Amino acid sequence: MALIQLQEVSKLYGFGDATTLALDEVGLSVEKGEFVAIMGPSGSGKTTLMNIIGLLDRPTHGSYRLGNEPVDRLRSNHQARLRRDRIGFVFQFYNLLPRLNVIDNVSLPLAYRGTTPVRRAKKASDILELVGMREREYFMPGQLSGGQAQRVAVARALINKPSIIIADEPTGNLDSTDSRVVMELFADIHRQGNTILLVTHNPELTRYANRVIYMRDGMIVGDERTTIGSIARGARKIYYEKRKVTDDEIVIGVSSLMHDVPGKELASSPRKRKSRSKKRTIRHKKTGVKR
Amino acid sequence: MWNGNLKTAVTNLRLNKWRSILTMMGIIIGVSSVVTVVSLGEGLKHQVVGQINQLGSRVITVRSGRLNDGTSASNLSIFSLWNASTLTDKDTAAIAKLPSVSGVVSFDYVTNSATGDSGELDNISVMGTSTDMASVLNKQVDYGGFFSSDQQNQDVAVIGTNIAQKMFGELNPVGHSLQISGTDFVVGGVLAKSPTSLLSVAETDFNSAVFIPIPVAQSLTGGHSNILQILAKSNDDNVDGAASDIKAALYKTHNGANNFTVLKQDELLSLAGGVINLITEFISGIAAIALVVGGIGIMDIMLASVSERTREIGIRKAVGATNRQIRSQFLAEGLVLSVAGGLIGIVVALAINIGLRIYTNLQPIISVSAAILAASVSLIIGVIFSVVPSVKAARKNPIDALRNE
Repeated sequence: MALIQLQEVSKLYGFGDATTLALDEVGLSVEKGEFVAIMGPSGSGKTTLMNIIGLLDRPTHGSYRLGNEPVDRLRSNHQARLRRDRIGFVFQFYNLLPRLNVIDNVSLPLAYRGTTPVRRAKKASDILELVGMREREYFMPGQLSGGQAQRVAVARALINKPSIIIADEPTGNLDSTDSRVVMELFADIHRQGNTILLVTHNPELTRYANRVIYMRDGMIVGDERTTIGSIARGARKIYYEKRKVTDDEIVIGVSSLMHDVPGKELASSPRKRKSRSKKRTIRHKKTGVKR
Repeated sequence: MWNGNLKTAVTNLRLNKWRSILTMMGIIIGVSSVVTVVSLGEGLKHQVVGQINQLGSRVITVRSGRLNDGTSASNLSIFSLWNASTLTDKDTAAIAKLPSVSGVVSFDYVTNSATGDSGELDNISVMGTSTDMASVLNKQVDYGGFFSSDQQNQDVAVIGTNIAQKMFGELNPVGHSLQISGTDFVVGGVLAKSPTSLLSVAETDFNSAVFIPIPVAQSLTGGHSNILQILAKSNDDNVDGAASDIKAALYKTHNGANNFTVLKQDELLSLAGGVINLITEFISGIAAIALVVGGIGIMDIMLASVSERTREIGIRKAVGATNRQIRSQFLAEGLVLSVAGGLIGIVVALAINIGLRIYTNLQPIISVSAAILAASVSLIIGVIFSVVPSVKAARKNPIDALRNE
C-alpha cells in the first residue's frame, strides 16, 4: 500500500477569466521509504503539489489518500493535527520563528501536541544532537548561519517522527558546503527509512534521490527511478547537455538561455521570434560600431 | 498550553515595549480614573456621614420644600437657596414649644459676604441663628464663646476658623470687628474647626460661616427671613415620636400645606449617600468610556500585530497548530495587555489617592471591591476586544501566510 496516493488531483486558483490551473489532474503514488526529488521550472506546480501533500492546501478536484486514509476533505483542525503528527516541513528560507531560540523552535510541534516543557526540551536536545546543533540550543535564529538555520529547521521537521518529510528547495539559499551538509542529513534520515519529498532546481541533488519526478505546467511529465549516487538522466539532459553556448548567444546574454529552460519550449513561438529579432537589430548596431 | 501562551505573550509584548505601554495607556487611564472617582465618592460619603453623626442621632432636620420620600436623592434641591423658604420663625417657635424637643436651632440666611480688616470676603455664609446652636450641634468654640440669650439684640458674631484666618490671620479675632451689610459686628467667638466636605449638612461650610443672632439678622434683611433649615434635638431616644410631633406642629403652622420636610438622622444619611452615589456613578460612567476606548486601542494594536506576524502564523500552522491554538495565543496576548493595564491602573489610582490625601483636604478611600471591579472589567474588555483579532489570526490560510514575506 502506497503511503501517498494522489488521483487526478487538480488545483485551480482564482475564478472567471483569471483562473490559473496550478495542477492538472496529477496522479502520483509514493511508497514508504522513497526519496523523491521533484524538478521543474518555476510555476510548474511543484510547490502547489507539496502544499497539497503537506495538507497545507486542498485540491480543487481529485482525491488524496495519506496512509490509505482519505485526507483531502478533512476539516482544517484535523488536517492541522495530521501535519503536526505525520508531516515535517523544511522550507527554503528556514522559516524559524525569529523570537524563539533554537530549542523552542525545534520543540514547537511538540508544544502543539501538549508535551510538557521538560520533555519537549529533552527531545529537542536529542534531535539537535542528531543534526549537530546541540551546542547552539540557546542561540536565536538570527545568530545562526544559513546552513545552521536549515539544520535547525530539519531538526524541527524531524521532532515528531513524521512519516513524510517535505523539503521545498531546502538548499536554495545555501552555499555548496552547507548544501552538502544538509543533503547528507537528508540522506541519513532516508537511510533510517523515512519518506522524503524534495523540491529542487539543482540536478546535483538528484544523486540523493531514488526517484525523480519532472513537472511542467501543472503536470507530471516524467517519472524516473534512479540509483542513489548518480545524477538522474532527465536532469542531466535538461541542465547539462542542452547547454551548448554559441558565440551569438554570448553576445545576446541571458535572454538566449531563457528558451532553453525546461518548460519554456511551449511558450508561443511568434512572441519568441519577436523578441529575438528585436535583440538582433540591437546586436547588429553594436557589432557595426565595433567593426 | 495556556502556560506556554502566556509566556509567549509576555515575550512578544516585551519585545515591543513602547507599543505595549502605549496600548495599555487607555486601560490604565480608564481603570485609574474609575477607581479614583469611586474612592473619592467613598471618602466623601465617609466625611458626610461623619459630619452627620457628629450632630448626634437625636437631631431632626426640617427643610423647606417637599421631598417625595426620604431616599429619593434627585429631590434634594441644591438650588433651595434661590427659592423662597417656606419655613418661618413661627415654625421655629412652634417646634420649640413641643415637649419632646429639647433644643431648636434655625439657620436664617442673610448674605454671602462680610468685610474685615483685610477687605471683603466673598463666598461665605452669613446666617442668623439662635443661642442654642453650639449646644444642639455639639459645636465647640475655640476662642471666646457663643452669644448668649441676653446678647440676642447685640451686634455680635461667631465666625468659622477659615474666616478667622482670612480676616485676622494670626491675631485672636475675639473683640475685633467685621462689617456685614454695612453694620459693624464684634467677634464674640471662633468655632472649632469642623470636618469639611464638599457636601455639607447645613448646605454650608461651618468653617466659612458667620453666625449672628436671629433678631439682628432680621433687622439686617428688613424683617424678611429666609430660613434654610431648622435643626431640633429630641428629648430622648424616641426620635420617631419627636419627628411626628414636629410634623404635626408644622402642619398646623402651615395650615395643612405639605411644603416642608422632616428628616431624621438616618434619612439624612441615606439622602446624602444617595446624592454622592449618584454623582460617583455619573463620573465613573464617564471614566468608563476611557476603558472602552482603551479596549479599542488594544483591538487596533492586536489587528496590526496579526497582520505583522502573518508569516509566524503560517509557520505555526505548518508545524501543526490548530486554529484554536492560534486563537488562544493571540487571545492571551490581548488579555495580558488588558490585565497588566488594569493592575497598573490600580497602582496609579493608589498613587493619585496618596497625592490627594497629601495636597488636598479630600480623604479618598480605595475600596477593594471597586479595584476588583475595575480589574475584572478591564479583563472582560481585553477578552471582548481581542476576540476579533485572534479569530482573524486563526482564520489565516497557512499558504498565504507562508508566502507573506
